[in-house]
Amino acid sequence: MKQHTVRRSAFRWPGLAAFLAIVVLITAFSWLLLDSILKWSLERTIGTLNGAEVNIGRVEHQWVPLTIRVTDIQVTDPSQPDYNRVLIGDVSGALSWEQLLLGRVHFEEVVSTGIRVHSERQSPGEVYQLPEKSEVGDWFSDKAADLNLSLPSVDDAIARVDLHTPAAIESAKAAYETQQQRVTAVLEQLPSKETLASYEEELKALSEGEVKTPAQLQERKEHFAKLKERFAADKKALEEFKEVTSSAVAELKAEFEKVKAAPQHDLDRVGELMQLNSEGLTEITAVLFGEQARRWADYMLLAYEQLAPMLQKSADETAIKPPRGEGIWFSFTDADAPPDFLIKKARTEFAVGPTVLDVNWQNITHQHEQLGQPTVFSARGENNALWSLLQLNGELALTAEGFDGRQQWRVQGVNLAQTALSERSELAATLLSALLDSEGNIALRDGQFDGNAILRLADMAIEAHADNEWAQVIATALASLNRLDINADIKGALMNPDFSLRSDLDRQLGQALKTAALDAAGPKLDAFKQKLNAQSGGFLAEHQDQLGQWSQLLSDAEGREQRLQELLETQFKGQLEDKVKDKLKGLLGGNE
Amino acid sequence: MLTLLARFLRALNSESGAWALAIAFVLGMIMGFTPLWRVHNLVILLIALLFRVNLSGFILSFVICSGIAYLLDPLFHQVGFAILSAESWQPVWQSMYSSAFWRVVQFHHTITLGSLVISLAFAPILALVSFWVVSQYRQRIQTWFNKLKIVQALKANRFWAIYSDLRG
Repeated sequence: MKQHTVRRSAFRWPGLAAFLAIVVLITAFSWLLLDSILKWSLERTIGTLNGAEVNIGRVEHQWVPLTIRVTDIQVTDPSQPDYNRVLIGDVSGALSWEQLLLGRVHFEEVVSTGIRVHSERQSPGEVYQLPEKSEVGDWFSDKAADLNLSLPSVDDAIARVDLHTPAAIESAKAAYETQQQRVTAVLEQLPSKETLASYEEELKALSEGEVKTPAQLQERKEHFAKLKERFAADKKALEEFKEVTSSAVAELKAEFEKVKAAPQHDLDRVGELMQLNSEGLTEITAVLFGEQARRWADYMLLAYEQLAPMLQKSADETAIKPPRGEGIWFSFTDADAPPDFLIKKARTEFAVGPTVLDVNWQNITHQHEQLGQPTVFSARGENNALWSLLQLNGELALTAEGFDGRQQWRVQGVNLAQTALSERSELAATLLSALLDSEGNIALRDGQFDGNAILRLADMAIEAHADNEWAQVIATALASLNRLDINADIKGALMNPDFSLRSDLDRQLGQALKTAALDAAGPKLDAFKQKLNAQSGGFLAEHQDQLGQWSQLLSDAEGREQRLQELLETQFKGQLEDKVKDKLKGLLGGNE
Repeated sequence: MLTLLARFLRALNSESGAWALAIAFVLGMIMGFTPLWRVHNLVILLIALLFRVNLSGFILSFVICSGIAYLLDPLFHQVGFAILSAESWQPVWQSMYSSAFWRVVQFHHTITLGSLVISLAFAPILALVSFWVVSQYRQRIQTWFNKLKIVQALKANRFWAIYSDLRG
């Protein structure tokens, strides 16, 4: 019997049919669910670039021409998950088939309407990656929270001052004790008046007595020499006394001067501390108008603050920490290749209060160097409910060093009404109405802002209430304002710019607040002054006499020194020798 | 799942070639480790269906490796990131990136490339180990295994019924 072994083929042809069936199913599935897939993909991609949850209401597509329409896009603000960074009502754009087949996303034109910034979310969005630096939106509110609107306390100020008066008195006391010991020590060595009188008598006796023989003369000479030695010793003691006492008097005088000056110094320090307490209030422009200025800056710098971070993350794979299991998409385009992502033209309608601001864009991409052109944007609005004129032009380009760009704007006749400036219990201030004009320019170099602007508020009406005398100063100043020019400087990093606002109001308020503080603290300050003066005056009265005594002693010492000097200068020897010579002449002449 | 396991055991105990099972494990592993919606997975699916690869082993390996892949994602990302960032490879990536075909295969994605590289590197090891285990099982363990009381007990339950149904 013959056996036939049938070798099975390595191929499983029904498997090919199954594969084709699966491919067809996947294609049909993708086709039918393309909108949902696109929605999911966009939410994930934009969410990753944004660093926080992105929600999309609906995505619709059309094959010819290839068009995508996305509605109700909510982009969570990573630093404030309760708010959307941007809310976009509707975006539609036509994609280039040709570029898409080459793996590039190029939109010919995108139209976006119903854009709002900083809108509240129904529920907090998930944050994927916390921003590295806190958003600047908190800057002014932080300052407002730190603002001390309570009347500065004199007691606190006194407690904080390192008082000079008691210290000066202690120092003067110690100096007095030391100097007194020194003066007493040298005082004991001084020749008394009696001693000086006895010197004179001795000298008189030596010079007036009868000298008959050279032996007597020699004896007297020796006595006189001893006297001179005592004069010299006493003179030395006098000189030492003068030196010590002079220095003691000088030092005590200096110490007494310090004691005299200390009360005023302490009063000045208390005043300075009370003024320091109000230092924050001298930046009242930034505190009260900063939040509004910041909101305007949000719109003025919208292109930079909203678009730039996403473009930057698109360009830098390492800037994104991907969610687990998501991975990172690298880009390896040549320097002269078309960008991976490009919106050639875009028209965006920003909803600002009751009106709409049209912003036109060109060349939105994260690969400006490949494109060779910056992203350009411009906005213009005239005669609407909010402003009479708004012009804004700018450009933005992402380079290897960071963002470069520039922008200038001019806004006229912005109607501000019923805007809360401060809602604190100590100070409530509301801008009832005002007209705002603003113009400014800003440059962005390597991701660093440098610019300035002026905000002119005219026809202002401010309602302000205060619950203490201190805050009342501010309230009064605000209520009297009719116009205010605020200068703003904008510097710092792209995502953390530093705004500084200043106006003449700051200087005026600073002076008014200081005066108010010192007036309010008047009685307490007077009592404090009296207390210090009593301490200082008591010490001085107690020790001034002693200082006078030392001065008197010094004067006496000078008199004694003078007398000693005269005694020292007596020509005793010559007189006696002459007498002896006369005597001897008489004796010798009688014998001749 | 029970059906799938039963089919796998049947294949293990049947005359299916040990290599057919080993290759099924490898293909399932690659598909399980790498992100599902990628073009290369279509190729793997085509190979698994067109050639006489054991489908039960392929599916079981895919399911198990998909679970393991979740744990290994950070590793895949790191490996893919390192390869895509390597300076010496930049010209290769740039030329591939400029091609629509390579763009579609999405090898410029860190987890895709990392998981594919790791699974391809592990493929020969898994193939050899699988072949050895299947062979050893059939030669030495199968008879002993069937005599185990626990196996006898299992044969009395629903799982055995499914298995028997499959055997026809």
